[in-house]
Amino acid sequence: MHVDKVKHDFEPKIVALVCTWCTYAGADLAGTSRMQYPPNVRVVKFPCTGRIDPVFILRAFQKGADGVLVSGCHPGDCHYMAGNFHARRRFAAFRKLLEFVGVDLSRLQFSWVSAAEGGKWVEMVTELTERVRQLGPLTEFRELELAEQWSGSTLTTPELKEAYQAI
Amino acid sequence: MNKTARKHDSAVLVDEGYWSSVSQAIQQEAVRLLEQGAVAGVVGYIAGRRTGTAMPVVAATPDEARQLIFSPACVNNLALYFTKAKKEVSSKGKLAIVAKGCDLRALAGLMGESQLKREDVYIIGIACAGVYGAHADRSQPLCDATIARKCRECTVHEPTGADAVAGTLPALQKLEPLEAQELARLEAMTPQERWAFWKEHFSRCIRCLACRQVCPFCFCEQCLCDRNRPQSVETTPRPAGNTAWHIVRAMHLAGRCGGCAECERVCPMDIPLNLLNRKMAKELKELYDYEAGLTPQEKGPLTEYKEDDDESFIK
Repeated sequence: MHVDKVKHDFEPKIVALVCTWCTYAGADLAGTSRMQYPPNVRVVKFPCTGRIDPVFILRAFQKGADGVLVSGCHPGDCHYMAGNFHARRRFAAFRKLLEFVGVDLSRLQFSWVSAAEGGKWVEMVTELTERVRQLGPLTEFRELELAEQWSGSTLTTPELKEAYQAI
Repeated sequence: MNKTARKHDSAVLVDEGYWSSVSQAIQQEAVRLLEQGAVAGVVGYIAGRRTGTAMPVVAATPDEARQLIFSPACVNNLALYFTKAKKEVSSKGKLAIVAKGCDLRALAGLMGESQLKREDVYIIGIACAGVYGAHADRSQPLCDATIARKCRECTVHEPTGADAVAGTLPALQKLEPLEAQELARLEAMTPQERWAFWKEHFSRCIRCLACRQVCPFCFCEQCLCDRNRPQSVETTPRPAGNTAWHIVRAMHLAGRCGGCAECERVCPMDIPLNLLNRKMAKELKELYDYEAGLTPQEKGPLTEYKEDDDESFIK
């Protein structure tokens, strides 16, 4: 299978946080089946989606990911019985929090990909890569990373301004 | 934080007699408990050195118990003294606590999380009319201008599940729900505007971590945010680490926060932290029909699951 390579202006970085039992095996299947998918994705393997702390997602965004994919076993298939059920609730809440802070949720994708679903893995990665490509680079977190320190110029209250200037 | 534009009504909300009657009731109950030897100490408030202030104290003798008061300056959430983080207090033996409605919610949460057993604490609940806000002019009595934001829309004026109740609740005026309005205003914004709003607030954070120290639910012996190697959250007061810290804090309190708003009160940089907590509480109520701290519940919404939970956001 030959796919023509297309040159793009912006290559998104996608971080995939995956469960070792299902999605990692699914991605492996996609590889052994010689399926093509965008090389933009970096896979990080976890024992279970239940182990994926929301901090990891934040950290990925902060360290330059333009999109994050979290993927694990279908409900009921968890190697540890209920890890993905717990993860499902946690991520539902975390999404609401990110939304409230103002993060674009279309950069964060959750999915269930089993070990037999190499095709679905390819589909998920391609879809997310294309979507993030359309959205462009994630600048918000990068700006925060680049901002050197707390800046006195943005102080809003007169008392604080005065105190800052007196230092 | 919208402090300037609004006109405050300086009419006194509750008359003096209410505070002294509550104080007397607390003293009576505390003295009785200590004289009978039912408890080793009473965690309550005494008057501070400056007028219009109060501070937490563990009264261990009847004489000390006669000093206990309740006034609008009794802002602290005393449930904090019953956590692992304050072992020197909780190891004294059975204690009694003077608790406002919001403190009771924290106590119920701690019981649900096996930090505290109901039989190990004697609760003197207060029919609470409200306390001072963080920047209140304490020379004034409790009025529209000085009452805390959380008290404006309090749902737990009457304590439930307490062993004794001090005071009777006076008729309370309905106040403008500032927090709910602010929350609605934020929810109506676009994501970019919300990001700008929080960015501005978080950029002021100096990472003093007072919000963590004062929270009854932040009792981990080692905080994730203090760890390096691997570091999860940057510890220096830079914008990136600040944003991460506040998101992590709100996430860890999701479904647990009792809404005492102590984090917001102690914040030296006036970051409206309780908005995040309120938002999460609201979302978890909508998602899993769960409200933290009304009764001790064995499992919080994020530590249990149902097989048919909503997964419309998962592909």
